[in-house]
Amino acid sequence: MITLLVILIVLLATLGLPLFAALGAGGLLATHQAELDPAVLIIELNRLASSPNLTAIPLFTLAGVVLAAGGAPQRLIRLFNALIGWLPGGLAGVALFACAFFTAFSGASGVTILALGGLLFPMLMSVGYPQRFSLGLLTSSGSIGLMFPPSLPVLLYGIVAGVNIDDLFLAGALPGLLLLVMITLYCMVLGVRLKIPRQPFTAEALQQSLREGIWDILLPVGVVWGIFGGFVTVSEASACTAAYVLVLETLIHRSLSLRRQLFPILRETSVLVGSILIILGVAMGLTNLLIDAQIPMHLLAWMRENIDSQLQFLLLLNGVLLIVGAMMDIFSAIVVLVPLILPLALQFGINPVHLGIILLANLEIGYCTPPVGINLFIASQRFQKPILTLFLSTLPFLGIMLVWLAILTYVPQLSTWWK
Amino acid sequence: MRSLPLRSILLRFQRLLTRAETVLAGLSLLLLVTLTLTQIIARNLFESGLPMADAITRQLVLYVTFFGAALAADAQRHIRIDVVSAWLSRDWLDRLYRPLHALAGIVCLILTKAAARFWIDEWQYAAPNERWEALFTLILPVGFGLLVLHFLLATTLGPPRRVPR
Repeated sequence: MITLLVILIVLLATLGLPLFAALGAGGLLATHQAELDPAVLIIELNRLASSPNLTAIPLFTLAGVVLAAGGAPQRLIRLFNALIGWLPGGLAGVALFACAFFTAFSGASGVTILALGGLLFPMLMSVGYPQRFSLGLLTSSGSIGLMFPPSLPVLLYGIVAGVNIDDLFLAGALPGLLLLVMITLYCMVLGVRLKIPRQPFTAEALQQSLREGIWDILLPVGVVWGIFGGFVTVSEASACTAAYVLVLETLIHRSLSLRRQLFPILRETSVLVGSILIILGVAMGLTNLLIDAQIPMHLLAWMRENIDSQLQFLLLLNGVLLIVGAMMDIFSAIVVLVPLILPLALQFGINPVHLGIILLANLEIGYCTPPVGINLFIASQRFQKPILTLFLSTLPFLGIMLVWLAILTYVPQLSTWWK
Repeated sequence: MRSLPLRSILLRFQRLLTRAETVLAGLSLLLLVTLTLTQIIARNLFESGLPMADAITRQLVLYVTFFGAALAADAQRHIRIDVVSAWLSRDWLDRLYRPLHALAGIVCLILTKAAARFWIDEWQYAAPNERWEALFTLILPVGFGLLVLHFLLATTLGPPRRVPR
């Protein structure tokens, strides 16, 4: 009976029942099975309020929404174009760096493709990049940058796994840069092979774009300096960032009118935060009940019988995570999977920081894979192309990302060099 | 034809509800930024902090979460797995709209009852000087109650009307 009900809940979730309601139904079922008061689910939800880093999520989200509304994408494109547009494959590199930068702030919620894709697609096509390459680059770039501060998925993993968020940001720096370098090299090779004309470098253009974009570029520098310099905590850095971007867009660039746009911005931020954190709150109760029912221990016992080495475990982990990443949104996947996977990974001697990087890398790839890779859907809407066309376009980039994933998984020093 | 006035009343109620939630969510967010910044300034300039500010900021996250979740329910923007539904036709999605929203409403209703029991216990057993914290946790039953309201409205009103081509 209980199995049937679980299958029914999963089926309803795949049909479109909001995930938090599906997890809530699962939690209610688990409390009923364990003969507990459903109020235990609420006790766990209320524990959210005791997590000191949690305030960083709404505040960094607010910063991302303000930047998107204030025209930061346009300024970033102009700046990166003046900086690296003259290199071979320059414009593709511009797209890559601008998307990575913006994704770090917008939390890979699809805003990058919506905000930057529409500007960059005609630009790439006009200088001669093939449509397929341009679509693939912009679709996969919507999640590149996830490893850099102040990325929301990194924050969420830190909160759920109980891992120091500063450590995670340090650990994500090299893997994030490595992916940028790998894809940039591919773009450069393609740019040379296709004889894409290069734009000349001009000091005036750089000066002009620097004047416009310097305050945006200083933002991540300030966040990293503040956190790693020990001046502010992650939560405090998020409040400073939110205040900074509000001042930047309203007083310096004057691209936002507080009177007209403040409440729409606050509403958009609240919707994004509410849809993520309600899942975290409801899932906390369910995952605790699963832990009480010793589900991870049963999984571990099964794994001990069938898996002999850390290498085998990591292979299996990557396989499972790639499938999950192709079916679940990154935030839900982190909330649901981490409490189950973490004890297993610890048993196999995997550092929780390294585990976080592997998990995020897998889920980043999942953004571009069917059936529900969210980047495919958003790009399909944005560029008015069928999902299959977009998936085929992203294949070369997915190939590069899979090689990158293998490197990250089997060279843990890339994530733990600073220890 | 008789159902038209009821529908317009419900739509008006829905608009008022989301307007109130937008204001409350927005004020919670602004207060969150202000309190956190004030804490940084107080700590660095005066080597002290606002009493209870940390506890209040953490509770405010729950306020933003619940008001935001209610707004997400109104805007059909809750995260879904969509493995099957992404491939269903518009007609099938419309047919599933009411049952799925009703089910989400029932789950939220049970959670509202659980949250109300939790809050009553918190209030009853809190020391007099900690009652203010218990008062803050009132957002738990209220938040789930708001979600029930939104799902109930969606079930009653049905899928958003399509613009004719």
